[in-house]
Amino acid sequence: MSILLNNKTRVLVQGITGRVGRAQTKWMLEYGTNIVAGVTPGKGGEEVEGVPVYNSVAQAVAERGAEASVFFVPPPAVKAAAIETIDAGVSLIVVVTEHVPVHDAMEIKAYASERGVRLLGPTSPGIITPGEAKMGIMPGNMFQPGRIGVISRSGTLAYEICVDLAAAGLGQSTAAGMGADPVTFTSMSELLALFDADPGTDLVVIVGEVGGRQEEHAAQFIARQMKKPVVAYVAGHSVPEGKRMGHAGAIVQGNMGTTKSKMSALQKAGVKVAEYPRDVVKLVQNQLK
Amino acid sequence: MRLYEFEAGDLFRSEGIPVPDFLVADSPEQAREAALKIGFPVVVKAQVLTGGRGLAGGVQAAESPEQAEEIARWILKSTIRGLPVNRVMVVKKAEVAREFYLGVTIDGLAGCPVVILSTAGGVSIEETARTHPEMVVSTQVPISSGLGLAEAAKMAQKASLTGDESARIAEILHKLYRVFRHYDATIAEINPLVRTAKGEYLALDAKMEIDDSSLFRHPDLPISPEDRIASSLEKKGRQIGVTYVELDGEVGIISTGAGLGMATMDIVNQRYRPANFLETGGGISEELLYRVMELVMQKKGLKAVFLNLLGGINPIHEGAKGIVRFLQEHPTDIPIVARAMGNRQEETRQVLREGGVEVVNAVATEEGVEQLFRRLEGKR
Repeated sequence: MSILLNNKTRVLVQGITGRVGRAQTKWMLEYGTNIVAGVTPGKGGEEVEGVPVYNSVAQAVAERGAEASVFFVPPPAVKAAAIETIDAGVSLIVVVTEHVPVHDAMEIKAYASERGVRLLGPTSPGIITPGEAKMGIMPGNMFQPGRIGVISRSGTLAYEICVDLAAAGLGQSTAAGMGADPVTFTSMSELLALFDADPGTDLVVIVGEVGGRQEEHAAQFIARQMKKPVVAYVAGHSVPEGKRMGHAGAIVQGNMGTTKSKMSALQKAGVKVAEYPRDVVKLVQNQLK
Repeated sequence: MRLYEFEAGDLFRSEGIPVPDFLVADSPEQAREAALKIGFPVVVKAQVLTGGRGLAGGVQAAESPEQAEEIARWILKSTIRGLPVNRVMVVKKAEVAREFYLGVTIDGLAGCPVVILSTAGGVSIEETARTHPEMVVSTQVPISSGLGLAEAAKMAQKASLTGDESARIAEILHKLYRVFRHYDATIAEINPLVRTAKGEYLALDAKMEIDDSSLFRHPDLPISPEDRIASSLEKKGRQIGVTYVELDGEVGIISTGAGLGMATMDIVNQRYRPANFLETGGGISEELLYRVMELVMQKKGLKAVFLNLLGGINPIHEGAKGIVRFLQEHPTDIPIVARAMGNRQEETRQVLREGGVEVVNAVATEEGVEQLFRRLEGKR
């Protein structure tokens, strides 16, 4: 079992004819993802790695039954593409694109929530159900099938934690990248709720970082209603105040967004919090005993 | 990107928010001229991209040309929170009858704008929210409909404003929201907005931050983000297209992702201090990594470099070639240790090893950093 994605999910790749789109389509297909179509406006009729390319999402949905879409679309085009995709009836959208204007992200989020469409991102590494399928850029060889759910703001740090878990024989049900921007389409709490309801998940690992209030909000959710155990790691104890650390959302402002605030909120909610990435493994093993 | 007060003031004025007359000066003599043009009394204000100017003496009133010049001379020599002051703003002094706080920012969790109005102006809104929460009115705004005049008027009423005052404040709040939306701001703030003794309403400060990711659609803004980076190494990082944050330690860090870079810093920080944070973003190439090495190696007092390369979106085997080429052209005695995982990990490790770079065989970053520590301590 898994959340949001499995090997049956009919996946569309938007921006499939670009350099990154092409390279990642190959990796996703090799991993077993059921990619049924690609879209690049003006490139309809072409093929990428044997996948038919369409001019519009509506066509890809009508002819190939696409139900989930992953975006390798340039930042200025993301808003229009998201609205087109939501209107075409796709129910899951993963926005890998970095540097999407935050006002566009707010507009997309509002549009999607009025229509009940789930998006991940922006700046999401994607979502992977190990052994079945992946939408996004996660390297398949750092994940392994199993029963741990993983939620991460960062891509590379999700890979890091999952390869440590895998080395200890702890595979993942699904690893979902929520993205590292100040506004994310789906919150950490919403992903926790999905994992809590998934019979294939025994425990959830949160991979957080400095900036924003996602972890604090997740802690409230956990204290209120989460049934499964949660382990967390929050990166950035040593980051200086007022500096954006590569991710648009990763910034400490005064006492806001510190690892201290996040770790203590999570600990108060009963979450076991690791000080360094590798310590996650021990905490997970203890929780599963 | 944070704007200087005078830049934000110009944008506010362009949307019809009342801003007092001001001029910008970068020398004491210019400040004197500016003060003469504006008319006394004036206030001379340091233009720096940080708060706390008032407490640092960066905001002072002047009654005469001599005094304006003298104050400007002092301010232009000072530093505020470590930042040198290169410019002052000379502005007409207002006689204040009442102060307000008006702000628009983004509620990251709710994913929408939030508009804040307070009848306690001139102090930080965080402070007011803590000490007098009843004086703060805040509203989440649906981005599709925005903050119309009617909604702004409701906020003014909630803040117990009445009559003409209520209408004027609502109008300015509505305009501030328009500035926020028009320029893709992450913050637009007036603190304080004042009513003067004559009954005028004026924005006596202007704070704005614009989303860097939106700059492509604001070519009209005569403002470059690079100009406001104080560290020359950080500026170079921006020019080559990576995030470089200069720190005061001795171990250089290069990471192909931001989260991993922060975690690597935390791990290094147990025993040594990071010299920098560097995150490549998702577009690495041989050339980029060559330039990244060149940048990181420029830091004074550097004793070692740890490279954490994870192949997801990035072709790390290409990056590895750039690292090797740089080190062959610029041989060094300091330890350089690289870890490569993910897509193309074997190929990447091979390129690095053949180029004479020490490669980590262990899985976890912690083990790689321990290997670097051993080398720093002279052990193999």
